[in-house]
Amino acid sequence: MNLQDVVNAMTLGSIYLLFALGMALVWGTMGILNFAHGSIFMFSAFMGFIVTGFVPLPLPAVVLIAVVTGALLTLAIQYFAYQPILKRVKSVAAAELQIVVAGIGIAAVPVAIAEKVTLSNNFGFQNSTFEAEVFEFAGIRITNIMILILVAGLGLGIGTALWIARSRRGLGLRAVGVDPETAALMGVDRKRMALATMAFSGALAGLSGALLTYYLTAINPHSGDGLLLKAFAVIILGGLGSVVGVILGAFILAFAETAVFAYTSGTWVSAISFGLIFILLLVRPQGILGKKEVRRT
Amino acid sequence: MMDWLSGYEVLFQLTLSLTLLALSLQIPLRMGVVSFASVGYFAIGGYTTAILVVHSGWSTWPAVVAGTVIAGVIAYLLGLGIAHLNGLYLAMATVSFSMILSVVAVNGGSLTGGPIGLFGVMGDATTWHFFIIVILVIIAISFTERGRLSRRFDAIREDPQLASAMGINVVRYRRLSFLISGAIGGLAGSMSVLMKTTISPESIGFGLIVLALTVIIVGGQGSWVGAVVGSVFFLWMPQTLDFVGTWEAVLYGLIVAVAAIYLPGGVVAVYKNWRYRRYVAHRNATLPEAVGASQGGE
Repeated sequence: MNLQDVVNAMTLGSIYLLFALGMALVWGTMGILNFAHGSIFMFSAFMGFIVTGFVPLPLPAVVLIAVVTGALLTLAIQYFAYQPILKRVKSVAAAELQIVVAGIGIAAVPVAIAEKVTLSNNFGFQNSTFEAEVFEFAGIRITNIMILILVAGLGLGIGTALWIARSRRGLGLRAVGVDPETAALMGVDRKRMALATMAFSGALAGLSGALLTYYLTAINPHSGDGLLLKAFAVIILGGLGSVVGVILGAFILAFAETAVFAYTSGTWVSAISFGLIFILLLVRPQGILGKKEVRRT
Repeated sequence: MMDWLSGYEVLFQLTLSLTLLALSLQIPLRMGVVSFASVGYFAIGGYTTAILVVHSGWSTWPAVVAGTVIAGVIAYLLGLGIAHLNGLYLAMATVSFSMILSVVAVNGGSLTGGPIGLFGVMGDATTWHFFIIVILVIIAISFTERGRLSRRFDAIREDPQLASAMGINVVRYRRLSFLISGAIGGLAGSMSVLMKTTISPESIGFGLIVLALTVIIVGGQGSWVGAVVGSVFFLWMPQTLDFVGTWEAVLYGLIVAVAAIYLPGGVVAVYKNWRYRRYVAHRNATLPEAVGASQGGE
């Protein structure tokens, strides 16, 4: 693995991190595994594609459109799907399957719309005014969009980890993750916390969608599906409920995939994430940094 | 009847395959095990039968039995490894299990036919054979849906700790559910490959997991009727709803979401509730003074 591979793996890891972070926060604190996350990621970029089709916008505007789309869509799903489900069950655990299936159903809708509009072709931000620039030093090629992805990924990842660990609201969010009832009694506004976390998660999905589309120049309506499965690997690898774990998991997966891609034929790459999930769940289900759960039956 | 059937024979075969696959998913689900490994068992059964028939020249029925047994054994071993995992973790582990198998199928070289898959899996199994097999499986499953066994399943799902305290060996039942699920899933794969005469990695992907799951959710989790109703609904709906046309996928997603949010028990539960309400109304009408009348709202 040469230095160029390392830089590429870091970029890929940052994308995985941005995508998986929102999912991990929502799953780890509210117990909601949002299967529509990949679909939101794709649709946010798709909105950027639609708008740039009419007006040639610069990169910040496209990213903003994607972020807002992601946040609004996720809020809508929380409000119209997950909240009604949770309202009628005793515990989040009882509604797990219902939430997963509702997410799968909802996820199919944006994918179907995007497929219909793009006729299942790739789409990108060709009309954006952003120009990719390539920098070269010490034999490494790095583009300005790669630098942006690295900064956004590491910045938001570490920032979120610090915020969760240090701030008062972060403490509140962790409390909800441990025991929602008690947290509510201690003055945590659960409903607002849930909506804010969901919006943040959706915004991250939108951000990663826009950045990945700029990086790859195009994605397709099904790009979110593969990423969703990889995010599971990232979260389980790091350990549910640990933001530092998500950062670790994202980069471990990215480096493992880059290494496999460098040394074997590319067809085994997609087995990495599944293999990692599977082996880890057999050996250490709580992940690298997660805490062991007690179970009696 | 025969003319009508021959026109829809492929669709009928697909319905039978999907019903079996959904039943394979449903058995663990009835014990509270959210396992998506059924698609993996389907792949194991399908590929085993295909390889034995195409490469080794086995005849039809031994190949089907081999596919079923191998899938069952692998499922049981999988159960030994992961049956102790909690809800969503088990779901993730089984999703990965199924997806790894499709990657293995892509990389299997001439044995699995690589990305293109295997062709010309000819056997003497007919649609009627398949139909009879499905009926037999349903009869066997219907025995688990009444009496003591059914109550045990319910207890394990609703409250594993209580079930354990009542003397039910929860872990053993859960492992058994893997074995049964594996055998049914493998059988579904074997028969499906014989009907279609072909199998490819694409046909055993994430999409099949989602389809089988949605069948169970919309049809109903608690009974084999749910698997049948769901399979018929999802495969025959596109045939009958021509006006929906290209928006079929959007409608499909919305139906799944609405069913998951508002009808957690599926169509079967809606019917049961309706019958129960009618029964209560009837009882209250005939026995106006009965004590039970006050509980009618339940």
